[in-house]
Amino acid sequence: MLASPNSPFERVTELSMARNVHERRTERQLLLILLPSLALLLAFVIYPALYSVYLSFTNEALTGAAALRPRFVGIRNYARLLNDAKFWNALLVTFLFVVGSAVIGQFVLGLISAVALRRRIHFRRLFSSIILLPNAAPEVVAGFMWISMLAGGEQATLSRIVSFFGVTPADWLQVFPLSMIIIVNTWRGIATAMILLTAGLSTIPNEIYEAARMDGATPSQMFRRITLPLMMPTILLYMLISAVSTIAVFGLVYALTRGGPGGATELVSIYIYNQSFTAFQLGYGAAVAVVALLISLVLGIGYVRAMKVEV
Amino acid sequence: MINLRNVRKFYGALEVIKGVDISVEDGEFAVFVGPSGCGKSTLLRMIAGLEGIDDGDLILNGKRINDVPPDKRGIAMVFQSYALYPHMTVAENIGFSLSLKKVPEAEIRRQVQAVAEILQLTDYLDRRPAALSGGQRQRVAIGRAIIKKPSLILFDEPLSNLDSALRVQMRAELQRLHRELKATVVYVTHDQVEAMTMADRIVVLNKGVVSQQGAPMTLYHQPDNEFVATFIGSPKMNTIPVTITKPIAGRIRAQSTYGLSLDLPDDGGLVTQGQATLGIRPEHLKIVADGQGDLSAEVMIVERLGVETYMTVGSQEQPIVVRAEGDIALRPGDRVSLIAETSACHLFDSAGRVVRSAQAS
Amino acid sequence: MAVISPSENANKTRSDLLAYATLSLISIFCAVPFFWVLIASLDGNAQLFLRWPEQWTFANYLRVFTKEDGAKWLFNSLFVVGGATVLVMVLAGLGGYALSRTRAWWKLPFLYAILLIRVLPPTALVVPLYKFLLTLNNAEGAILRPIFGEYTRPIMRWTGFIDGYLGLILVLATMQLPLALWIMKTFFDGLPRDYEEAALMDGATLVQRIRRVLIPLALPGLAAAGLFAFMSAWGDFLLPLIFLSSPELQTLPLGLFRAFLRINEIDYGLLAALAFIYLLPAVVAFGFARRFLVQTFAGGVKG
Repeated sequence: MLASPNSPFERVTELSMARNVHERRTERQLLLILLPSLALLLAFVIYPALYSVYLSFTNEALTGAAALRPRFVGIRNYARLLNDAKFWNALLVTFLFVVGSAVIGQFVLGLISAVALRRRIHFRRLFSSIILLPNAAPEVVAGFMWISMLAGGEQATLSRIVSFFGVTPADWLQVFPLSMIIIVNTWRGIATAMILLTAGLSTIPNEIYEAARMDGATPSQMFRRITLPLMMPTILLYMLISAVSTIAVFGLVYALTRGGPGGATELVSIYIYNQSFTAFQLGYGAAVAVVALLISLVLGIGYVRAMKVEV
Repeated sequence: MINLRNVRKFYGALEVIKGVDISVEDGEFAVFVGPSGCGKSTLLRMIAGLEGIDDGDLILNGKRINDVPPDKRGIAMVFQSYALYPHMTVAENIGFSLSLKKVPEAEIRRQVQAVAEILQLTDYLDRRPAALSGGQRQRVAIGRAIIKKPSLILFDEPLSNLDSALRVQMRAELQRLHRELKATVVYVTHDQVEAMTMADRIVVLNKGVVSQQGAPMTLYHQPDNEFVATFIGSPKMNTIPVTITKPIAGRIRAQSTYGLSLDLPDDGGLVTQGQATLGIRPEHLKIVADGQGDLSAEVMIVERLGVETYMTVGSQEQPIVVRAEGDIALRPGDRVSLIAETSACHLFDSAGRVVRSAQAS
Repeated sequence: MAVISPSENANKTRSDLLAYATLSLISIFCAVPFFWVLIASLDGNAQLFLRWPEQWTFANYLRVFTKEDGAKWLFNSLFVVGGATVLVMVLAGLGGYALSRTRAWWKLPFLYAILLIRVLPPTALVVPLYKFLLTLNNAEGAILRPIFGEYTRPIMRWTGFIDGYLGLILVLATMQLPLALWIMKTFFDGLPRDYEEAALMDGATLVQRIRRVLIPLALPGLAAAGLFAFMSAWGDFLLPLIFLSSPELQTLPLGLFRAFLRINEIDYGLLAALAFIYLLPAVVAFGFARRFLVQTFAGGVKG
């Protein structure tokens, strides 16, 4: 091992030569300290992902005839997928869930909050703290809180609120399950939208609004012709991030409805869980998982492009 | 013609603009100049309507416009950072104010084309600001201003973002535009060179108050106070603390602790005995043969620029800058004798007010 | 503030009022669900629906620890999540530094990989992960049993991969690594190399540079990464659900979930108290993490 360079002359000479011994040694050391993280990620994420793909081509199961001798069955699981009404239902439910809560609910409420919080009013910190709070609650607690709001027919908190306005209450989770989980996930995710959109809003220099003021723009014109167009990259980034994280939601909905009633709220994530750990069809569950992985990857590639990674 | 009458502004309890009176005539190029924090940008924004006026009147062409919203004042502003809309093309940027008022497309295009021709932007109309150079962006900002046909154009330190070569070029550009458009301009800068070269009228501001306003040469040769005297002109006017005595009727003598002894004609008897400050610009000090001068001093620094030479003489506690024509090959350590042109001597009292001004040439 | 005409002034006040109104509505929407947990936990005779307590009491909290295994759940959660957080902070601190400073060919692919890993839904990975850990677990058992005999079971509770602390800590940590690595990499990117170069000129080795110069400088970044990792792991329900089965290892989310599933007589007061206990560390961590929020998640916006 060479000693570290000490004199400035050596150091300058070192830096001006690429691929010299010291640099290579430093690079090796850097790789070394990254290795444990790499090992964990390879073992517990990459390998399972790849293994999932392999599993999806087998008929592995924990019960039934195949349990003892699982074998390679090619694309039979996928063929089964295509004909599986529950699978398509799961896709549809997930799609509606993402559109309802991430694309619409969280975005609209998050945008309103971000814009409203730019005005110089009192209690701004209080408002933003409260709006961010739902995101801090663990999934299970959040689901649990909303059970109190929604279950129990007339006694549920939501029922009491709407009957105050003269609307007849219903057994919310039974009658409107999908709408309810959309509302709950919206509630949970306003924080993400608000943070990202606030950051996007702050990249627009104030002087541009002053120039628009001098050009005679009304607040509504300023929003439509300056704020929104300049926010497009942020909005796109937000849509990708929130779509991806919404697809991954499991605990929140599972705690609320467990996927019911009758599969009305069976997200893809819950479907995978049910197939794998309730029906014990590991091979088939893996096939569904692979589909979910692929959809996420496609979104992920869009996300990577939008992020403009700095090296 | 724009008037500020006893205008004041407060930030909370702090008074930042303390009763300012300024007049700018039609077609004049007025420059507000002063050190950081003097309030020049604040004043500009108050004229634009981006900041409110707490007391006093702002009058434009005879009308009091304190409460008129910014876009209805007939005033346009070029921001320091240009504030161009990054997602719009040059043409859209310039025509924005018209499109807000729902002027028909064809008419917008016609007016934008006309403005682009004046500013030589016709080749860039379809570009976005990110694809333009600093000078081009500034012209777009100007275009956005003049398309509104304003009675007054405001400039907020427009040249401070440019490199020095471009700055010199843009100074000439702006003056050309001013002549062509015959517009009234209020221009804010901290650079007194810009002020001196471009202005018809300079307003020097210091800590929220107008120190002096007038033509550049008036401020140069007849400063009202020590602040203006040292702010205007580069290198700065020399200021030397002196004691005034009146040995003979009709004459006053100014003597500094470092050996300067100068006799000046006593005109009008304004000058009283006691402490004062003598002001004399570097170019009004001449090197003479030994022993014949008002002051003998040791040379500390010599800066030879070929066409002229600047020497700093005297001592650390009392440096004096002398400007001489041509190349003077003196060296640090040499001794020189200087005389001061008596007609170019200023005297300032202890409050910095001028008590004796240079004789008008 | 800009000068505005009287009619515009009225508009501005109206806009401000509108802002107050919408923010209040949204805040109420966000806050209401928390009320029940708060109030019911102090209610002597709590019900599922929201009601004003007739008697205020802390008995529910006591029952969490006496009637149920609240203490065990709390300890397990703290141990597992705390362990995972510490592990993440160490690995991400080192790894983030490496990612920031390296100029090797694998830098960009690795960064892209991290982003892509972040988008994978954990539910899609659980099954193969389970099988893999099961294999590891069996292998470990096969090695340990000949040596420790009947003590294998208790030992495996700590070192096992399925139904063992070690496995859960490792998996939880791995799930938090991508975000943590990203945070630390971005953080180190913003740290000038001057400090390290000065240390290099003073003759410090890599290890010395890390310990004596970088760690003190990296503390804000580590705090952010640690807080976010903690909050995310604390709330994780799926992984403990899959990988833990014995009652001694149950964590808070599982305890809460199973207590609620009891068919006979659900003790709502106890549930609310349990939920509150589970909620509290997350909210506290969130309070500290608040000032890091914008920097962390909005970094990509400045293109």
